[in-house]
Amino acid sequence: MAQMHILFTIISMDIKMSEMLQYSFMQNAFIAGVVIAILASVSGTFVVLRRYSMISETLAHSALVGVAVGLVAGLNPLWVAVIVALLSSWLIEYLRSSFALYSDAVLAILLSGSLAIAVIIVSLGGAFNNSLFSYLFGSILSVSSGDVMMIVLVGGVALALLLMFSKELYFIAYDEEVAQTSGIKVKALNFLLVSVVAIIIALSVRVVGSLLIGALMVIPSVAALQFKKGFKSTTLLALFFAVVSVLFGITLSYEFSLPSGATIVLCVLFIFIISLILNNKK
Amino acid sequence: MKFHLPIFEVKNLNFNVAKENILNNISFDILQGEYIGIIGPNGGGKTTLIRMLLGLEKPTSGEIKIYGKRLKDFRRWDKIGYVPQRASHVDSSFPATVQDIVNMGRTSKRAIFSGMSEHDHEVVRDAMIKMDVLDLAQKIVGTLSGGQRQRVMCARALASSPEILILDEPNTGVDTRSQNRFYALLRSLNKEEGITIVFITHDVGVIVDDIARLFTINQKATICNNPKQTLSCEDMSTLYGTDAHLVHNHKHGH
Repeated sequence: MAQMHILFTIISMDIKMSEMLQYSFMQNAFIAGVVIAILASVSGTFVVLRRYSMISETLAHSALVGVAVGLVAGLNPLWVAVIVALLSSWLIEYLRSSFALYSDAVLAILLSGSLAIAVIIVSLGGAFNNSLFSYLFGSILSVSSGDVMMIVLVGGVALALLLMFSKELYFIAYDEEVAQTSGIKVKALNFLLVSVVAIIIALSVRVVGSLLIGALMVIPSVAALQFKKGFKSTTLLALFFAVVSVLFGITLSYEFSLPSGATIVLCVLFIFIISLILNNKK
Repeated sequence: MKFHLPIFEVKNLNFNVAKENILNNISFDILQGEYIGIIGPNGGGKTTLIRMLLGLEKPTSGEIKIYGKRLKDFRRWDKIGYVPQRASHVDSSFPATVQDIVNMGRTSKRAIFSGMSEHDHEVVRDAMIKMDVLDLAQKIVGTLSGGQRQRVMCARALASSPEILILDEPNTGVDTRSQNRFYALLRSLNKEEGITIVFITHDVGVIVDDIARLFTINQKATICNNPKQTLSCEDMSTLYGTDAHLVHNHKHGH
């Protein structure tokens, strides 16, 4: 009887899934979500290893400035978000490397500064509406085919750059100075890493939201680190956790009419807690 | 062994921080194949000097040349293997096996997008054998003892096939038995493979038989061309500002 019940549940879930995937906005959400999960988790591993996790939060707030400018000026908010996040990432890296300022202090200053600018722009432009709300918390309904195309193409280039220099970035994450003394262009690669992270974050604000993308970038990597594996295994585990969280998150979001970003983040948090419990038992 | 080609040429080097003179008018050459010991009290400028040789700090004035080129024009950093002071203090949660760490030594020799070649694997394996860490290859580096980590860091430096190896007190916090094995390895790298070694240490007594010259650094540099004979207890006491004496290690049985 119990087996029949399980079978019935699986069949009904299967029907719901196929129903859900008939909608083009859900197809867009799944494609964009999975691509973002891959991008965020792979770049997130480097960010976490550099002990630079707060950069994702700061760049997400800078991306919000871009969204605000885009909404007020009638431009594509995603494109403007990419440009503003990129400029912000260069400023962060410049301040960090040139003035020996404390990295976390630089991030805190730019985070609050960006948020203040975004709020002022939006209130002056009278654009404080649902559209901005969707960029704050993520909305699967708002992902258009054009957005998917942009996320896949620009995100693909960002991922290719990351993979191209992954061995150098890994060495830098391990020991920046030793990497420098072995001839690796540390300064240029640090700029590359923050640029790629900025692009990925700006691309993600539509699906996950600017207030929550940091979690998708950092938590899968921290969960994967609990398993104490080598670099490749850790990156692959982080990628798996992020993709599973996005797939479950979007499905639950559709099923229970919840905001997609928050649901995805709760899924990844659940995986993180399970990882902690499993590895504390070892 | 006769030394001819200068690897490092340092002239009138000064380094000030907030008007405080850390290094004062230092000049020396380091020749190919030499084993140089550097000693001096903490805060005397040893690490600063090494960091300037590696381009990690800019001198206030003076000139440094590597292989005849000024630091800013030098490109062949892969010729230099560096093991910093904190080498054995690894972040225990860093996701790296011993193999991952030693592979890093080949990074600047590999092209973009390229995996490890057969040759790279051979060099890495050879470095791990020399440093006696081959059986630890799949262990997570954060789980190793201080002595094992020290050997892994040196294996990484060796995997870059360096012509010069610069070590900044890599044996801090490592037990005596591991240290003695380590000194023997350095001796063989210098004598048998001709690798130039620059070694900052406080344990000059145990390497005094191996080194060609000893640099004592305490703001100024004093070069001892025959460290075994010229370095007296008086010199050591002056250098360290306390009653000091040189302990010779009888590892060779003489």
